[in-house]
Amino acid sequence: MTWYHTLLQHLINGLALGAVYALIALGYTMVYGILQLINFAHGEVFMLGAYFGLSALLLGQVTGPLPGVWCWWVTGMMLLAILGCSLTGCAIERLAYRPLRRAPKLSLLITAIGMSFVLQNVVMLTYGAQDRHIPSVMPTIRWTVGGASVTAMQVVLVCSGLVVMLALHLFIRRTRVGWAMQATAQDPVAARLMGIPVDRIIALTFALGSALAAVGGVLFGLYYATVNFHDGYLMGLKAFTAAVLGGIGNIPGAMLGGTLLGLLESVGAGYLSSQWKNVFAFVILVLLLICRPRGLLGERVVDRD
Amino acid sequence: MRQLAWLLAGVLWLTSCGPREPVVKIGFAGPLTGDQAAHGLDLLRGAQLALEEAQRQGPILPGHRVELVAMDDQRSPTQAVSVAKKFVADPDVMAVIGHLNSSCTMPASAVYHTARLLELSPVSSNPQISRQGFETFYRICATDDVQGPAAAQFLMDQLQARRIFLIDDMTTYGRGLANEFARAVQEHRGQLLGHEGIPQGEKDFAPLLTKIKSLAPEAIYFAGMYPEGALLIKQRYELQVPAIFMGGDGLFEEALVQLATPQAAEGVYLTTLGGDIAGVPAAQGFVRAYEAKYGAVGAYSAYAYEAMNIVLWAIKTAGQKDRAAVLAAMKHLKEYSGILGVHTFNEQGDTRNRIIGIFTVRNGRFTFVTQVVK
Repeated sequence: MTWYHTLLQHLINGLALGAVYALIALGYTMVYGILQLINFAHGEVFMLGAYFGLSALLLGQVTGPLPGVWCWWVTGMMLLAILGCSLTGCAIERLAYRPLRRAPKLSLLITAIGMSFVLQNVVMLTYGAQDRHIPSVMPTIRWTVGGASVTAMQVVLVCSGLVVMLALHLFIRRTRVGWAMQATAQDPVAARLMGIPVDRIIALTFALGSALAAVGGVLFGLYYATVNFHDGYLMGLKAFTAAVLGGIGNIPGAMLGGTLLGLLESVGAGYLSSQWKNVFAFVILVLLLICRPRGLLGERVVDRD
Repeated sequence: MRQLAWLLAGVLWLTSCGPREPVVKIGFAGPLTGDQAAHGLDLLRGAQLALEEAQRQGPILPGHRVELVAMDDQRSPTQAVSVAKKFVADPDVMAVIGHLNSSCTMPASAVYHTARLLELSPVSSNPQISRQGFETFYRICATDDVQGPAAAQFLMDQLQARRIFLIDDMTTYGRGLANEFARAVQEHRGQLLGHEGIPQGEKDFAPLLTKIKSLAPEAIYFAGMYPEGALLIKQRYELQVPAIFMGGDGLFEEALVQLATPQAAEGVYLTTLGGDIAGVPAAQGFVRAYEAKYGAVGAYSAYAYEAMNIVLWAIKTAGQKDRAAVLAAMKHLKEYSGILGVHTFNEQGDTRNRIIGIFTVRNGRFTFVTQVVK
């Protein structure tokens, strides 16, 4: 392998990882944009996505060799995860955040952290504290592209990331509900005066963000073949970093931030040392925020003082 | 309603006043939750089986009920110390079997030592633990100063792999084993292309493996446990790294093949801290009993089974419920023949039965290749 093959391989690895970060980061950024709340329970929703995917497999009675076309299994996992996570997202909003809508922002933040612990423990008690193995529904298909190795899983990861993000972009820019979301983010009081059902729009934002995390969770589970109840913590923290990197509240920013973080981590861990992989992500964040305090693409939050 | 309350009170009074049989407890400590729970369960079942078999043959200590008390150390050194303190504080506990990870056994052994409580470690293989000089500490497995060199020699002599990349999981066990391995490679004039650590719990090793691929080693040696090992094996396959993959006894777990997918795990080598029990006639009774009760024998089950039998021997020999007597009885143990071999302990508490088994994954199953006796 020459140096550019290695670099290409690092970039491919980073892109696949970045797609997952981006999918989770979108949820953080959407909720922040609309409520100015850092929803710390979002990482747990992502982890739940992987568990819902696992449940879909278990429901389909899969223990031995998997019958049928793998696409259907993946679709089934996705559907159950999206449904389950959206409902969980809405429930979190309704039970934990809506009653505190008028409370100081700090109380909401603490509630979010509490919610995160509740979800972790619920999963631990229902699925057990062991690592759960997710059977590989997808056959391991490998290609060699320009001297670098690409797996079918990585292609699925990046492609589904792209499709989902494009769909989200079109939804927010081109549909009436999307406009209503933008209006609510800009000024909830004015939006309410214009006849926008603000509460419902906020619930929808949570559902949508959770659905994206669910897609990320299922892909993560399939990619790494195991899931644990505390997997959401570090992934959530990194995705939050990605959201801040791109400019929190900014949807294209989250996509850019996620991809960039994945790439930087891969290249950093590959060329420097894998022991410093996690440190690297946060060093980048600090450096970038010193130079651009509002993130790469800038925050999209209206000052409401 | 009132009658019911009286009745209940009466029942409670009756049960509390019955003559209570004194109990002797044997502690078990290992990870029963978390990513290494499968290892912990293998150990616990082995210990349970040994106790049940012994009880079927008659009382272990006349007039006493013997109980196994299992506690979860979550593979965390801090949890291990708190578990150790709980065992020490319970006057009924006469011995402890555990822990799994050297990083847990190391600090916990000091707690047992101050309380003069016998600790028998089934699989913690870091040689530093016994070098602390605690007379309460015994272990029945070979140590990493044998395991590391055995693996290095096998790679270089049998498999002709001299360009090696070394990975460890930065724990007491992993780093210790990796250092022993590295020393042996250098002594045999092998070439160590690099030595990197990975944090436990990490899942994405693609950057590290890409770096390894660009260095084109003939073999990768991983000193760590199976959750990370499985992902390394899987991702190495996906990245098409052609090097031979070899690991230490931490990979010796059936779940490894399933987690790594059988096609990626095919041809992986690993060492174990004892020989192949399938080839030992004395162990066949254990294998049959275990399979009848729990299914396929776990990788570490035989070690815990052996440890429990030795603890029971010590309690029987002591003939009384007294920690000091149990400890003193251990000193008299010579040429104890168990299922892993004949044990005599040296002055540090390590067994002189030092066998390293070498296994490979063939058709999705661990297959015995050879063994090294030191």
